[in-house]
Amino acid sequence: MRTKFSGILTLLLAFVVQLTFAQEKTISGTVSDNSGLPLPGVNIIVKGTNNGTQSDFDGNYTVNVDVGQTIVFSYVGFYTDERAVTAATSNINLQMSEDAAVLEEVVVTALGIKKEKKALGYAVSSIKEEAIKDSPETDLTRVLQGKTAGIEITTANGMSGSANKVIIRGMNSFSGNNNALYVVDGVPYSSDANAAGNFIDGNSGSSRSFDIDPNNIENIDILKGLAATTLYGTAGRNGVILITTKAGSTSNMKAKQEVEVSTSYFFNEVASLPDYQDKYGGGFDQAFGWFYSNWGPGFYEDGLGGYGSDQALNGQGGLPGATSGTVAHPYATSAFLAANYPDYQATWYQENGDAKRYDWKPRNSVEQFFRTGGVASISTNFRGRSEDGKYNYGMSFGHVNDEGFTPGNQITRTNLTISGGAKLTNKLSVRGSMTYTKTDFKTPPVAASYGSSAGGSGSSIFGDLFYTPRSIDFYELPFELPDGSSIYYRDDNAIQHPLWTVQNSKFSQKVNRVNGFASIDYNFNDNINLRYQGSVDTYSENNVNSQNRGGRTGNIITDSGIYNTWNNTNLITDHNLVLSGNNYSFFNDHLGFNFMAGATSRGTKYDRIGVNSSDQQVFDFFAHEGFVNHGYIEYHEERNIVGVYGQLGFDFNNWIFLNFSGRQDWVSNTEKNNTLFYPSTSVSIIPTSVFSGIKSENGLNYLKLRAGYGTSANFATGYPTVTGLSLNTQGWIDNTSNTTNSFVGNPNIKPELFTEFEYGIEAKLFSRLNIDLTYYTRITNDLIIQTAPIPLSTGAAFTSTNIGEIESWGIEAIADLDILKRSEGFNWNIAVNFTTSESKVTDIGDNDLIMYAGFTNLGNGARVGYPLGSIFGSRIKRTSTGELIVDGAGNYESEDPDEDQILSFLGDPNPDFVMNYTNTFEYKGWSLTMAVNHTSGGVIYSTTIGTLMGRGLTTDTEDRLSTYILPGVNVDANGVTTVNNTQINNSNFYFDNGFASPASELMIYDASVIRLREVSFGYSLPTKMLDKTPFGKVVFKASAYNMWYNAYNTPDGINFDPNTTALGDGNGQGFDYLTGPSSKRYGMSVNLSF
Amino acid sequence: MKNLNKISVLLILLLGLTFTSCETTDLDLINDPNQITVENGDLERYMVAIQVDFARFASTMGSNGARLVRIEQMSAGSYVNAFEPIFTNYEWRLAYVNMFSDMKNAANLAIEKGSRGNHIAVMKILKAYTLITLVDYFGDVPRSEANDLSNFPAPSVDPGADVYAFAIATLTEARQELDLLGNLNLGTDYYYNNNFDQWKKLANTLLMQAYVNTNNTAAFNALANGNNFISETADDFVWEYTALINDEIDARAPGYQYDYTSGGATSYKSDYLMNAMLKDDAGIGSDGDPRRRYYFFRQNDCTPGALKDYTVAPEVEGNQCAVDPERLFCSTSPRPAHYPGSEMVYCSVDNGYWGRDHGFGGGIPPDTFKRTAYGVYPYAGNFDDNRFSSVGLGQGGGGAGITPIYLASWSHLMRAEMALANGGEAGTHLRKAMEISIAKVMSFGSKDGDANLATTDDGGFVPTTTTVNNYINTKMSNFGSGNAEYKWNTLGEQHLVAHYGNGSNSYNYYRRTGYPHTLQWTVEPAPGGFVRSLFYPADEANVNPNILQKPNVGVQVFWDNNPPSSAAGTGFPYAN
Repeated sequence: MRTKFSGILTLLLAFVVQLTFAQEKTISGTVSDNSGLPLPGVNIIVKGTNNGTQSDFDGNYTVNVDVGQTIVFSYVGFYTDERAVTAATSNINLQMSEDAAVLEEVVVTALGIKKEKKALGYAVSSIKEEAIKDSPETDLTRVLQGKTAGIEITTANGMSGSANKVIIRGMNSFSGNNNALYVVDGVPYSSDANAAGNFIDGNSGSSRSFDIDPNNIENIDILKGLAATTLYGTAGRNGVILITTKAGSTSNMKAKQEVEVSTSYFFNEVASLPDYQDKYGGGFDQAFGWFYSNWGPGFYEDGLGGYGSDQALNGQGGLPGATSGTVAHPYATSAFLAANYPDYQATWYQENGDAKRYDWKPRNSVEQFFRTGGVASISTNFRGRSEDGKYNYGMSFGHVNDEGFTPGNQITRTNLTISGGAKLTNKLSVRGSMTYTKTDFKTPPVAASYGSSAGGSGSSIFGDLFYTPRSIDFYELPFELPDGSSIYYRDDNAIQHPLWTVQNSKFSQKVNRVNGFASIDYNFNDNINLRYQGSVDTYSENNVNSQNRGGRTGNIITDSGIYNTWNNTNLITDHNLVLSGNNYSFFNDHLGFNFMAGATSRGTKYDRIGVNSSDQQVFDFFAHEGFVNHGYIEYHEERNIVGVYGQLGFDFNNWIFLNFSGRQDWVSNTEKNNTLFYPSTSVSIIPTSVFSGIKSENGLNYLKLRAGYGTSANFATGYPTVTGLSLNTQGWIDNTSNTTNSFVGNPNIKPELFTEFEYGIEAKLFSRLNIDLTYYTRITNDLIIQTAPIPLSTGAAFTSTNIGEIESWGIEAIADLDILKRSEGFNWNIAVNFTTSESKVTDIGDNDLIMYAGFTNLGNGARVGYPLGSIFGSRIKRTSTGELIVDGAGNYESEDPDEDQILSFLGDPNPDFVMNYTNTFEYKGWSLTMAVNHTSGGVIYSTTIGTLMGRGLTTDTEDRLSTYILPGVNVDANGVTTVNNTQINNSNFYFDNGFASPASELMIYDASVIRLREVSFGYSLPTKMLDKTPFGKVVFKASAYNMWYNAYNTPDGINFDPNTTALGDGNGQGFDYLTGPSSKRYGMSVNLSF
Repeated sequence: MKNLNKISVLLILLLGLTFTSCETTDLDLINDPNQITVENGDLERYMVAIQVDFARFASTMGSNGARLVRIEQMSAGSYVNAFEPIFTNYEWRLAYVNMFSDMKNAANLAIEKGSRGNHIAVMKILKAYTLITLVDYFGDVPRSEANDLSNFPAPSVDPGADVYAFAIATLTEARQELDLLGNLNLGTDYYYNNNFDQWKKLANTLLMQAYVNTNNTAAFNALANGNNFISETADDFVWEYTALINDEIDARAPGYQYDYTSGGATSYKSDYLMNAMLKDDAGIGSDGDPRRRYYFFRQNDCTPGALKDYTVAPEVEGNQCAVDPERLFCSTSPRPAHYPGSEMVYCSVDNGYWGRDHGFGGGIPPDTFKRTAYGVYPYAGNFDDNRFSSVGLGQGGGGAGITPIYLASWSHLMRAEMALANGGEAGTHLRKAMEISIAKVMSFGSKDGDANLATTDDGGFVPTTTTVNNYINTKMSNFGSGNAEYKWNTLGEQHLVAHYGNGSNSYNYYRRTGYPHTLQWTVEPAPGGFVRSLFYPADEANVNPNILQKPNVGVQVFWDNNPPSSAAGTGFPYAN
């Protein structure tokens, strides 16, 4: 259309020119986009006339114009630019700048269908290449943090490659997976995290979404609501992250050929460490001891709490040779060494027979433990198309080496994608793409710790690290005994030396992954198209979890040396057959119509197989033959989903758009209730197109109102309908046993249903403010509890059931304001996004409380009237009027059940709201971006805080010589309450009434945090400078991530980062079990285009 | 070009075919490949699982009772905290989810296959024991609505008395099943090796025990006089462990698993029991109870704050062990104000016994190479021959010990109690109980291959027959001349000592009689009232709308007719 129109214009122009007498000039030049690439098809008009032209394929144009006139350059998606013509002007080369808030934006919707944004009756967030590439984070999921409203990303910790959780519009359900679906170039992409063991024993695995190379991404569209995702069926119920890669989108190219190379190097450091106090050392109740805790004497000699009064330190007690200010070396006095390694212990004695001495002074080994990692990446993209546009190709190669701040942690990734397409005839075209990814992840073990070593049977690198007493420097204490076993300061050697863990305990995942698709399009005519697309995504993940013998986990198997190897294979096969009809118009083009009908089948097959070995024979020899005992690791799961779907779209005069869609799914793992139909409908109205009166240049520029209704469902996973028997060939010694499984199948399990209404407004005001507001409500019915605890007295512990209802609602607001716009080349933009989502459990059947994550006495549960995800556990005992009860010794009493005889509510981990502020300044080629995140509210059960406080390590506990009185009341035998006035000492206060208390409530903290998420400073070389070079564009960017944060309601000295999840990518939330700190990254990138 | 068009249409059709015939459209993937189906269950394999689970149940329940009556150390300051609802999930699961479910399936198989009366009888006996034990600890528990998920998704509790009646009937049925003709042996009978006379004795003994709890003297006497109960050590009902450990199974005795590690001993022994067995009664020599060297293995010969040898005066050089704030902090603290006179042991036991007081739950100092460990009885650790060395992996009997579930000595204690309560002759039964208990315990000495098993006469530490006889005679003489309280205390003390390894019976005894009064008090001043029954397990009460959690642990089981315990720690029993 555009071409024809301008052709007519040109004709008219030619006529007009004949009648003109003014001084006429021919102006020519090149128009390029903000990245310096030639921009074809730019409308170039002489202001106030009909005189104009368009730029050609290479961005060149020629136009005739009078001196004194002004040329206007306009192009969809770019700011309109004007240039005056003077007598001297002969050549105008112009670099147009992109308009971030494009009204006529085209977005990718379900199944890769591109639609004009104005036609959509639901919210879609688009994130452009610029916001993603050259980021210090190598993990795409983390790059998305804070980029738009309605999406919540939690990382296990800051370790390179650790798992993430991606939740869109809050959790829907407490069973199954709440993580969003990734779709890469139309192909469903597995983002599973296959952690080693469960969250207690091993939380080390990475998420398979890590396999995506962020630098190969052109665009991400996030479908949040159910009206948007209906066509994905059950798989799309948690929202869909649609990724268009550069190699996969060659058809959109502007130029014939593009080559892009980008390379970067970033430093990766631990984001912050606790502020340790240096006044007191290891011990308890002010007495010295080789303890876990740091409640020992001061590092000063005289006065209250000084070491001068401690026999072990004042040179007047203990072993011969004692001097004041020193203590006998822990290895000289270790009872463990005396019992097991007397010869080694002898080396810790001097020639005169006295024990070697260890200085009593503060030390800083924890600070030295972390290193500065380096993140190096290179990424190249080649793509091009033939002159006639019939053939196109793409290729990309990327390599990343991300070295964590924790010794032993590293992840490398190599991606290679090749893609291409061809139009074979006018009717038939084919397209395909294939990506190979190799990911190699290594980490020391990360596991839950409750504040005294690892909680489970394995090791944990952070489990014993942060609360190292200040008098201990683990670099000064050798970690290896002559036979390689771990040795550390504690008398009974109950703690595994952190350096021993780094050297001897390892977890690795090596992944080989191939994913790709092939599609065939057949155009019956201009309107009707038939497409088949087949795709496959398969990975083979080789896991190794090993530890040399001689560890000190307290688990006899682990300490004998373990070597566990297993392979996870996952295969997703997906077929889609779609018949679509577009561009039908009726009633003189007043009414438009399009339709689509399709069928799809998806199979997911997961197999795990491997061997556990223990009892290592030769230290540091890892092969199964070198171990005495062997066991198996095996698990299989397979599920198919078949679906048919359809969509009808209508528009009237381009101002009202109506869309109806529906999908029916069938799943393979249940016999009954295995199918469901999900309808959805949405409408979009553009009042500014109807009532042109309300539209003005300096008022309302654009207004869109939308409303959508969508449904989806979640089917039970696994094998929910069958009851089986566990067979154990070593039921006792050599006898095989079979025992009834504690899970009993439910043949009547139904899918859970989601119903959502969403309403939105999109507006542009004053040519500089864009607003996008969404409000939604959602109801989840028939919730599936995949392993619902049932009364043990029924003879089973779990079943799958459907119960209850959850109501949720939320607001997503995005505002984008150009404070300064093209004012002397200076742009200043502020973008804000705001998310709040609230939920309420309204029905859970006959149950009082369903604990679905964590432990049965502390975890996330569902209880009527409380938000989904609430933490339930034991609390401080209360009187009937809610006063806290303190016992006779001055300590809090605890209680499990509350006044309703139900496990007590401790807090809601869901934030009240999340706001992200992004400031962007641009001046000529320079740009500066600052992004700040504010998460307000929500609670976290933090073992990190609890332990550091309870063991007396941080500056928060430095003032400790006075006594404390807990606020609360004493209750006497007759139930009479009096205000508590019993004084307790520091260890009672922080330790007994902190993390060692049975009342879990004492470790609940507010998780609000303000974070300087990103600062980046970029410079794009001017096109002029590049004229003589082969480069089309050169951009330098320095950026820094997570340089500062403040969880302002947690104790100051801890510097705790609440964006952590000890429960991996599962449905648990708000728990930290010494899971590890976050990372900060800073460095440089260079991006070159040819 | 036209050809190409046709080809492409054909191609699309072909693809459509692949699509429809593809394995991704298979919608019948119902069965779980990771487990066998119920149809593949096998009777003998069920019997293995049931017997193993039963031993675990008896052992863990026995440990709960033991901690309450100071046979073992209780490590939380208050009774409520020591027995939080979550702590008994495992036991409850063993009973209902494992054993009862398996029994239900296995009984069907046994009936199908015919002539399997022995299998049914064994299951009935084990089930009756389990039900009785559940009532004894929890009070009213689900029975009639249990293990019937489709009809009772949330079973209600049955009154404890009804469950008792049912269990008593079940034991009676079991005896009849054992007499059926054509009964086959079990594939593996871990307890009695297919000696069904012994199973019958066990059934009778359990009936007697139930009658003692319910104070049914007539029924008790009838069985006692029938003399077909566990009365000799050969009939002892025990679970035997072995020294095996690998990735799949740790078959070592539980106490051994705790204490014989490369990092030292990880459990604390009861200060009360060690002190009582060391010092014992007036007239007993410095050796104390002949069983103490078998029960406890000392790694250390001088416990901070105590005497190295309590028979030597404290003033003697070196006899007073220095306090140690690092490893035994309480050795530096004064006795709790609420403890009565100095006869009640506090913190440090003499002669190197290193344990913890009842209800002490402080942090763990580095004392694992100092603590007293389990000995050679019942968990097959080390015999204490004054070697005072550190424990370690594989030492002593390697963990090839036992969990006692019903011992002959206990039958005699039961008879002594009934006699004492009803004015009969208790002494003979008590004597018999002591004799066979001491003999059994001493027979374990040889499990420790490294021990010096010479008798005290030969410079070793194994009590001589004379010593043992003297001990028993002295005890009996004191018992004979003592008043009623003294008698009950003595019987109670002997009850606790004989039940080392399984405190279930002693916990019942303590609630029946309130004796011994000599028990150590809880070291925390306000421990709350004594546990008269446990909370329901969290996994049951939290999800069963028909079972409300108990308000406290003071709820009495149906046969417990003693006065209530008060939250202030007064009331029944005497020692709180």
